[in-house]
Amino acid sequence: MKEDRRRAMIWSYVFLCIFVVFFLTPPAYMLITSLKTNAEISAAVAPWWIFAPTLDNYVELLTSPTYLTFFRNSALVSVLVVLITMAVSIPAAFALSRMKFWGSATLATGVFLTYLIPETLLFIPLFKIFVFVHETTGIQLINRWWVLVVLYPTLTVPFATWIMIGYFSSIPKELDEAALIDGAGYLQILIKIFIPVALPGIIAATIFAFTVSWAQFLYPLAFTTSTDQLVLPVGIITTLIKGDVFTWGQIMSGTLLGAAPPLVIYAFLMDYYIAGLTAGATKG
Amino acid sequence: MKKFLRRKSTIAFAMALPLILIIVLLVLYPALYSIHMATLNKSMEHFVGLENFAFLFTRETFWMVVRQSVVFAVSAVVFKALIGFCVAHFVHNIPVKGQRKWRGMLLVPWVIPPAMSTLVWLWLFDPSYSAFNWTFEHIGMAPVNWLGSPNWARFAVILVNVWVGAPFFMIMYLAALKSVPEQLYEAAAIDGANWWQKLWYITLPMMRNIIAITVLFSLIVTFANFDIVRVLTSGGPVDQTHVFATWAFKVGIEGSDLPLGAAVSLFMFPILAVAAIFILRDISRRGTET
Amino acid sequence: MVTRKFTRRRFLKTTAAASAAVGLTSYVRTSHAAGKLELGFWDHWVPGANDVLTKLCNEWAAKEKVEIKIDYIPSQGQKNLLTIAAEAQAKAGHDMLALPTWWPADKAKDLEPVDDVMKVLFANNGAVSPLIEYLGRVEGRWIAIPATPGSQIKGPCGRIDLLKQHAGLDVSKMYPAGAAPDNALSESWTWDAFLAAAEKCHKAGVPFGIGLGQTADSVDSMGALFGSFGAELIDAKGNITVKSDAVKQVLEYMKKLVPVLPPDVFAWDDASNNKWLISGKGALIMNPPSAWAVAKRDNPKVAEQLWTFPAPRGPKGRFQPYLPYFWGIWKFSQNKAAAKSLMHHISERSAVEKMVAASQGYDIPAFAKLNDFKTWADEGPPKGTLYHYPPKPGQILSIAGFPAPPKIAAQIYTQAIMTKLVAKCTQGGESIDKAIGWAASELQGFMRV
Repeated sequence: MKEDRRRAMIWSYVFLCIFVVFFLTPPAYMLITSLKTNAEISAAVAPWWIFAPTLDNYVELLTSPTYLTFFRNSALVSVLVVLITMAVSIPAAFALSRMKFWGSATLATGVFLTYLIPETLLFIPLFKIFVFVHETTGIQLINRWWVLVVLYPTLTVPFATWIMIGYFSSIPKELDEAALIDGAGYLQILIKIFIPVALPGIIAATIFAFTVSWAQFLYPLAFTTSTDQLVLPVGIITTLIKGDVFTWGQIMSGTLLGAAPPLVIYAFLMDYYIAGLTAGATKG
Repeated sequence: MKKFLRRKSTIAFAMALPLILIIVLLVLYPALYSIHMATLNKSMEHFVGLENFAFLFTRETFWMVVRQSVVFAVSAVVFKALIGFCVAHFVHNIPVKGQRKWRGMLLVPWVIPPAMSTLVWLWLFDPSYSAFNWTFEHIGMAPVNWLGSPNWARFAVILVNVWVGAPFFMIMYLAALKSVPEQLYEAAAIDGANWWQKLWYITLPMMRNIIAITVLFSLIVTFANFDIVRVLTSGGPVDQTHVFATWAFKVGIEGSDLPLGAAVSLFMFPILAVAAIFILRDISRRGTET
Repeated sequence: MVTRKFTRRRFLKTTAAASAAVGLTSYVRTSHAAGKLELGFWDHWVPGANDVLTKLCNEWAAKEKVEIKIDYIPSQGQKNLLTIAAEAQAKAGHDMLALPTWWPADKAKDLEPVDDVMKVLFANNGAVSPLIEYLGRVEGRWIAIPATPGSQIKGPCGRIDLLKQHAGLDVSKMYPAGAAPDNALSESWTWDAFLAAAEKCHKAGVPFGIGLGQTADSVDSMGALFGSFGAELIDAKGNITVKSDAVKQVLEYMKKLVPVLPPDVFAWDDASNNKWLISGKGALIMNPPSAWAVAKRDNPKVAEQLWTFPAPRGPKGRFQPYLPYFWGIWKFSQNKAAAKSLMHHISERSAVEKMVAASQGYDIPAFAKLNDFKTWADEGPPKGTLYHYPPKPGQILSIAGFPAPPKIAAQIYTQAIMTKLVAKCTQGGESIDKAIGWAASELQGFMRV
């Protein structure tokens, strides 16, 4: 038995190494390329080796106000979207898992189906809606980074709600019945009981919302134009690739720097993420 | 009036209201508008009913896109699920202390924004500068026409999608694996079961729900994928890696025919809705069973 | 008298700036230039080129007391097309936009006629090629003016050393710096000579890199080839003429050329041919000077051997692949007068000269009198490498799809029918007739209105 276990472990390590190579080759290549000068990249002498390492690409980006603006916009948008997502999903999930109202069952399963409607279909009508809003209220949504704060929740809220419905459903009903008997209102039940118990699920939804917001490409491409309103993915692609000229060194370092925040967040909160995702999903 | 406000269902509705508003205003209404747009002619001046769809059905390229989208989505999801499942097992098998760093490393592709990581793949596949081809040439193999030959291009697109998405499956399955009680395996081992039987009779049934959900979610998201194909091949060569979203973009925006683009995008919906309904029904049925 | 006052007051209300009143008094003769203006220009890849345009606009804005906001919109990711589509739909956005090739004609009904501006420009700057008129003049009215930034010619850019060594072509002698082309040599620079040179370079391991993908570079190369053989896919009246001998001739030619090109050209995008040349792997590409400019920075040894010269001659003439940009004013703009005034300012000879210099010679002005700037003669190394880049008499500026009606030709262009045709009967292994049959069916689909 022990021998079996050991053999399974060794084989596991072997295969894990293979998969890690597969998964990490592109990021490693990103790192290598980001440390090369443009001349060395163009010469294409040895893609996997650096002859004259340089931190220029990183320095140029970190001292470039444009790039830092992208970073700032991405961070602002993502944080705000996470907050909004939580503010919308938690009460909604609570309502849909615990309380009944007309259409709640359909909404609970149907909320998932909003993912079927692709962004490429929605952005022209959305553009017209925003123009209408501008004309009636004077709030300019086009070409402003905060329009993304309005739009991204459409992508994060359904899945976050869905995770949370699953998680909330797994909380035994006796808990809230006891609280109700004690005279607590629904809001108190939500805040004092559900949220603490469902914290892993909430963290999971938070991380999901953050990652999705950070990585968005089409909506920002369509709705933001001025350089100071762009977020990272669009900013990198539109400023570091001009016409037919790619500045690969900076693109690579820009991408690595841009991937850093989600990576950091994952590193710290990963255990919660895993626990939250799966509990919500398996019980839902 | 006060009683109405106090009622459970009203409070519930109020709590779900932001969700409902977001979906209605920013998803449903634009979607309905798109449906309306799909019934207009190219210059968006006249109503033409289903003519755009009829036109699409006569286009050879359209059917090619349908085929490509289905093949792309199904094969990518199958591979992602398989790889995720296997890797989850491997991680599960090694001592818990070491699992964290392996998990971290394997999660990296999922965490990097796809639009940007696809750029790296683009560079890796580049006709002139491909690092892969350079390696191949150095070990005596012929260089591969990654993005220029139709079959290799399709392979490349699926490969990148699998690379990006497999970690998600791995994480979901890993945690599900952890929740399968150890006693079940021990009991089976006592009965003399080998690893295959354990897998088939214990692991898979316990994980059936989560497998179904991740597959559904991934199918939907992969089907509607835009970033990867757009950045890697833009649908080429000769439209042979186009999927719905990228072709809709080409026809609608670049070809200045928004109604036709809307029609192409809309075509995705029935296909996905059917798949979604089947899988969701299966899940809820299992839910009531267990 | 009463009606005029009313209109003016309404005009004042819609333009927010208080300085509008001041602006009105400084403008006597022409329109009332004042208020605000939002401009969307093409994001130039040459570092610093955008700044020159910004400076020109700011000069004008200070003089005319107009508050301007400039966005530089990249063509990367089709961002400019997204913007055009969204703004046309929503009837809101910038006042003036840079519109590539087909878009003025496509959005003609949403653009403000600018015949008055063009009249002055013709008087000052000379005539434009028939191609510009084809793209910018719809139903007898000019709906956009030619823009200098972004307008480019994608003729051959080749390695002097490799072409001399392997193909026996001395391009710097054929098209010498600072002088007219050598008559005998340039007469013999035909598509057949091109093929012969390509074959020799392929044998020597430095093939020509002619992209056959679906982006503009590839489509424009084929456009010039098709044009020079007189192979029209759709004629000026809108008849499908793809089943013609000329088209078959071109495809036969391509069947001979494709084997001596790199095998992955069918996946090339606009940057691939640049990379091909800069890496030193190829002897010739069809591209504007962006490849040479980047090579100057990244691979100077290659750069100092690069020479830009006109495309080969075909039975119907020497067709140069041309990609012009335009500036157009939306009909919904609240400040058309100011926009037109700006158009005048940035089309003046001195302004254009500055823009061309800032682009390192990349930008090609559309007007005849503006093609003699010193920039092209002076740019280097090697000096004179761009002397033969701007169009010279005797050359025909071409765009793939011409002379079909612009809205239909735009489809031929964006759907890359020409390169797909070539791909089908070479890499795709189909017979020429089958490929042409497919093209005919696609073209039929483009006739939709």
